[in-house]
Amino acid sequence: MNCQSVRDLLPDLLDNRTAATTHLEARAHLARCPDCQREFAELSQAAQALDAIPTPVPSPQLRTNFYTMLEAEKQAGVAPSRREPRARRRLHWGWILSPLAACALVALGFALGHRATPAVSRGEPSAESIAMQAELKKLRADVNKMTTAVAYTLFQQQQGPANERLREILVAAKAENPSDKILDDLVLALTLDPSANVRLRAIEALYPHAERELVRAGVLAALPREQNPLVQIELIDFVAAAQDPNAAPVLAKMADDEAINTSVRDAAKMALAQL
Amino acid sequence: MLAVRDGELDALGELFERHHGPLFGFLVKLTGNRSAAEDIAQTVFQRMLKYRHTYRDDGSFTAWMYHLARRCAADHFRKSSAAPHATDPADLSDHADETPHAAHHATTRDDHALLHTALAQLDRDAREVLLLSRFQELSFAEISGILECSVGAAKVRAHRALRELRDIYLRLLAQGPKDQGTKGPNDLFSRGPVVP
Repeated sequence: MNCQSVRDLLPDLLDNRTAATTHLEARAHLARCPDCQREFAELSQAAQALDAIPTPVPSPQLRTNFYTMLEAEKQAGVAPSRREPRARRRLHWGWILSPLAACALVALGFALGHRATPAVSRGEPSAESIAMQAELKKLRADVNKMTTAVAYTLFQQQQGPANERLREILVAAKAENPSDKILDDLVLALTLDPSANVRLRAIEALYPHAERELVRAGVLAALPREQNPLVQIELIDFVAAAQDPNAAPVLAKMADDEAINTSVRDAAKMALAQL
Repeated sequence: MLAVRDGELDALGELFERHHGPLFGFLVKLTGNRSAAEDIAQTVFQRMLKYRHTYRDDGSFTAWMYHLARRCAADHFRKSSAAPHATDPADLSDHADETPHAAHHATTRDDHALLHTALAQLDRDAREVLLLSRFQELSFAEISGILECSVGAAKVRAHRALRELRDIYLRLLAQGPKDQGTKGPNDLFSRGPVVP
């Protein structure tokens, strides 16, 4: 393979999407050709330098404008709320397993009871019946243990990644003067993380930076979309403590929304009074 | 995005949170202007909302988003009569700074600033394909769909753009003022040969 052919392939070799097992002939040429190596090195470092350019963070206005636009579209009555579909889509294996286990238990109990019941009973349980009942009781206990074990395993699996994300939040929160990028990441965790625990820690980490416009806008954008009452109350406390006047319309709407938890509505009313 | 198409508009909020950062970064590097990048990003999400019924589940959402972004950026360039020339690299950093074109700042010693300048001096199409190709989440098949060309053509354009960027950068380094202790043209590339 000549140098020109290899140099045509250099960008492919630079691309991380290209498997290491491809272009073996070109790689072999590169390993022994100083000119091609120099060309490859220059292109490689240009690409790495390009990737290393810091990514700028948009102003908070972008987020504010987006949610204003989204809200306007929703108000136009185009779409239903996401709350019910989200609740429908959320599957808890415990909720599936428990009724299935209960049905299995009932069926088993029926089968065992049918076998155990004598043709004529004079009211006194037979020894066999007592033994069957004891077995049923043991089976019921086993199914309960199984359901609990599955639920606990699922809980652990969920907590594993959440703990990792919590660690990242805590590391970011320790920065004295975090960059906009770090604050943006915290706001992102607040908005998107599936764990309420992580979202709560994100709010806590954002408190010292409440005077930053990026933070206030991010928290305010997250407030109407949050569904967990604990997190909702923390967000309400945040905007009240930050004395963010832009929060008033959002709080007023929450205070009047009967679909929202009563404690959350009370918190919204109190925060409104403080603003 | 399928959820948005089917009427769950709140789902677009999640897409916004996940993607607006990288999208904005792409647009800033493409236009060299923070304010324009924010306007275009806003327009991209407006169009996602307006044309949500046209979304098809036959490719990645990311590719669709950058396809929209490219069109919105092209509209922006048409409306602003001047072609995108080299712009102050400070516009591409976290702190917006509306200083004049980067051509006047070609002598700055900061590597990032020089690379910004080199990037801004690329032809817009070259800059566009180069930035798209550096996003690892986009395959060349997706990039070719965005650019409406073949996969081979997309690769050739990306490769050519990278070479041009390298050449411009080296030229800018060589043009540095001697009294400021100019870096050698190969300072950025002085780490020795790298074999893949």
